[in-house]
Amino acid sequence: MAKQQAKAQDNTTRWIVIAMVLLVVVTGVVFSLMSQNNKENASLAALDGTKLKPAVTATIDPANGSAIVLNPGQAKVIDVWEDPQCPVCKNFEDANGDYIESLVRDNKATVRFHVLSFLGDESVRAANASFCAADEGQYLDFHHALYAVQSPLENSGFWSNEKLVAIGSKIGITSTKFADCVNKGSKIDLVKANYDSMEKYGVKGTPTVFINGKLWERKSPDFNLAEFKAAVEAA
Amino acid sequence: MKNFNARFQPQITLLARLLLGGVLLVAGGLKLNKPTDSANAVAAYKILPANLAHLVGYALPWLEVAIALLLIIGIMVRPAALIGGAIMLVFTAAIASVWARGLLIDCGCFGGGGEIDPSLAAQVHRTYFIEIMRDLGLALAALYLYLFPYGKLSFEKAAVEE
Repeated sequence: MAKQQAKAQDNTTRWIVIAMVLLVVVTGVVFSLMSQNNKENASLAALDGTKLKPAVTATIDPANGSAIVLNPGQAKVIDVWEDPQCPVCKNFEDANGDYIESLVRDNKATVRFHVLSFLGDESVRAANASFCAADEGQYLDFHHALYAVQSPLENSGFWSNEKLVAIGSKIGITSTKFADCVNKGSKIDLVKANYDSMEKYGVKGTPTVFINGKLWERKSPDFNLAEFKAAVEAA
Repeated sequence: MKNFNARFQPQITLLARLLLGGVLLVAGGLKLNKPTDSANAVAAYKILPANLAHLVGYALPWLEVAIALLLIIGIMVRPAALIGGAIMLVFTAAIASVWARGLLIDCGCFGGGGEIDPSLAAQVHRTYFIEIMRDLGLALAALYLYLFPYGKLSFEKAAVEE
């Protein structure tokens, strides 16, 4: 009798412990999910007050992996290979994005953006939206906005087509043509063409940068503007 | 051998608990405050669909810490060892699968994770081997605890003579 009681008590303890372990794990998961969603939605606020800059005509260059070409015909040509979800590309953009934009706007160089999408569905959607923005002449603005709100968690569900349209309209790309293009995935062929051209150019990761066709290799541990600027000016 | 085990079993059980529990505590603890890294690390194995992988990444550090505490304090050692051993076997299978598919990733076992530069392939393959051996070793410790859950410095004592 005493033994049976002890056994029953033992079982109760067991269930209490199992319930506590489950509680800890579930609480952890819910907490992580919520904090992730909050951070992503809060990041959109960073775009508040962004003014759309003057349009820059973008062309697609089928001879060069169907890249987005800005300011063609300059002596200096910079090729930038990026995946919108890649965190290191964000570091590169944070350090050198404004400088690259100035090269385009001040007619100092031709810049070809190869928009890759090997990090999953959200990269494909973001790349498609990037080509849509290029059609509007607002590739640089959209590119900048994407990196400003990039989620540290890849394929988190944040970059839905709906959110990508919202990101566009927050920075001033409000045309229905853009929204349609994003929602319909109209540029998926270009997205694929860019991805498929990686092998031909020996691009294995991102960001990869070529200055006048020559692979740029960074020496410093982090991206810094001075180093990149010197490399571009020396070319 | 049988005599040795009969004599030192409580001490061996304690050692196994501290070993498995200690590794799990460190592994889980280092990842607890970086849930995003953990979610990305699990997704990098490319075994589960992204959203499921993220959930596993969020849950794993908490599960590891919970199991570790049970093992170290000595409560419900047998079921804790069962789960601990099972996740070690899952880790082993996951790393083997990554290796077989030729992916180059950081296992993210103690934080970190994600893809690794292709130029480091040889080094990564050696790391995979070491990780598999380590996890199999820990699975053996878990098996021992399943067989002999009652030992020294344990909160829980054997209810009946076994």
